[in-house]
Amino acid sequence: MTDLLTAASRGSRAIRPSGGGSGAFRLLTPAALYYAVFFAIPMLCLFVLSFWRAQGFDLIVDFSLDNYWKIAQSPVYHVLLLRTVVIGFITALIVVPLAFALSYVLHFVLARRGQIVLQLVLLSLFSGYLVRIYAWRTILGKQGLLNSTLMWLGVIDSPLEFLIYSNFATVITLTGLLLPLAVLPIYSSMANISRDHLEVARDLGSRRAHLVRTILVPMALPGIRTASAFAFLLAAGDFVTPSLVGGTQGIMIGNVIADQFRGIGSNWPLGGAIAFVTMALVLVVYFAAMRLIRWVTTW
Amino acid sequence: MVGRQRSSVLAAAYVVLVLLFLYLPVAVTVMFSFADSPRLSMPIEGLTLDWYRRAFSNPLMGVAVRNSVILAAVSAIAAGALGAGFAFGVIRMKSRRLRGVLLGASLLPAVIPLLVIGISLAVAFSAIGWLQGLRNAAFGHVLVCLPFVVLTMNARLETFDFSILEAARDLGASPFRAFLDITLPIIRPSILGAALLAAALSLDEFVVTWFNIGSQQTLPVLVWGLVRRGVDPSINAVASLLLFSLICLVGISNLSAWRRRR
Repeated sequence: MTDLLTAASRGSRAIRPSGGGSGAFRLLTPAALYYAVFFAIPMLCLFVLSFWRAQGFDLIVDFSLDNYWKIAQSPVYHVLLLRTVVIGFITALIVVPLAFALSYVLHFVLARRGQIVLQLVLLSLFSGYLVRIYAWRTILGKQGLLNSTLMWLGVIDSPLEFLIYSNFATVITLTGLLLPLAVLPIYSSMANISRDHLEVARDLGSRRAHLVRTILVPMALPGIRTASAFAFLLAAGDFVTPSLVGGTQGIMIGNVIADQFRGIGSNWPLGGAIAFVTMALVLVVYFAAMRLIRWVTTW
Repeated sequence: MVGRQRSSVLAAAYVVLVLLFLYLPVAVTVMFSFADSPRLSMPIEGLTLDWYRRAFSNPLMGVAVRNSVILAAVSAIAAGALGAGFAFGVIRMKSRRLRGVLLGASLLPAVIPLLVIGISLAVAFSAIGWLQGLRNAAFGHVLVCLPFVVLTMNARLETFDFSILEAARDLGASPFRAFLDITLPIIRPSILGAALLAAALSLDEFVVTWFNIGSQQTLPVLVWGLVRRGVDPSINAVASLLLFSLICLVGISNLSAWRRRR
């Protein structure tokens, strides 16, 4: 699993063949074709479809902005889009600093022993996606692990209601899902910063906060950028978490998109349009946030 | 020195908290899969294997296991081969810039929400008239696994010494011979490791599967179905079995990398 890390961090050190690279293209082609056929073309299909119309069970070929217009006009979508972006943003705002702190501790404080912990953190990526979400419902439920333990201990008299079926539950669960994924790029970009580098800065009288802002964050910026993209995009695009722990008041735009494809009265073109609007919105917020980080750290 | 010691205690405490947070769901799942009371709350009064019995008496379980194994095998073989080829091709590129672009592009499906990948595949398959089912899901699984295979393979190939290949060629070996006798034995553990990772990812894949598999079952789809129907402690049993298989796959995958390093 450390391989996932070295891949993301250092440039290749392979001893390259001196001959021509025509064989390289032949090796690349099958996977490249696969990406084209099963990734690029389907995305294009979805985009084209978003301009079509659905009438009952039939899809009508069209070029209309009806679906986009519908989203622009109806307040229901605005509320859902806003909630999605806010929840995704808050999740990223929790996940990225946690991952940053963890990477810092693993690399600079624990050093060698940090490697083992890192393995454990990454291993949790493979501890079941649905399983973890469902487990959080067991933990946070009204009669769940946390409430029943607290009541058993006599800390509270009645269950804490806000723990489950709330935006709180969604953010906690998403944080658990995305934290290891965010550690991956941040740790690997931090791995390029040596301890000596920090020592020198400290000896020269740099204070800790200053150190973080002027050295650590700028040097780990590529990793922070990737981690933020992971956390924000994937949190905003998750529909399983809100549907299992978010409650009826906590559904996100992903639930609406999913319903357009696997629900009663589905509408594929509309679902496609909502998906693209959501991604565009998330990307705009993401780039604005990255601008802000850059501005703060270089200033 | 005192300050440094205190900060390392704080650091260790933080690490422990994070690990607890990450592994609490796993512990809870396994714990309640053996717990006597169906209420899923504390304190646990007794232990039982009833939930496992109940899980296996579910008629959908057999089909789900079979389909999950098929998908995992297809993903391991197809994503393993495609990803290994891609990584091998990329690492032999001379232009550093081109390598970066290709690697970055190959990771794109990992940043796009699975929901969007799932629905776009559903649209594309329906456009060519393929009915939803295991086949469509398999193509989705391979796509979802590919970025991770490429990433892992790329890392493992970084230490590959291409000059021994040239030595073989100079000594008169055909490219095919050189590949078979030199390259393959060296990179086989790496490919195996990456393929097992793909199998683990496939075994756990739910979202893309859900939009493409129609009325078929896989283990995660079965879990989803049970979860939607309400609280049923046999969910924890199915989930624990899934967890166990995932740990085995990832464990063996890591082992293959570890043995190579020695």
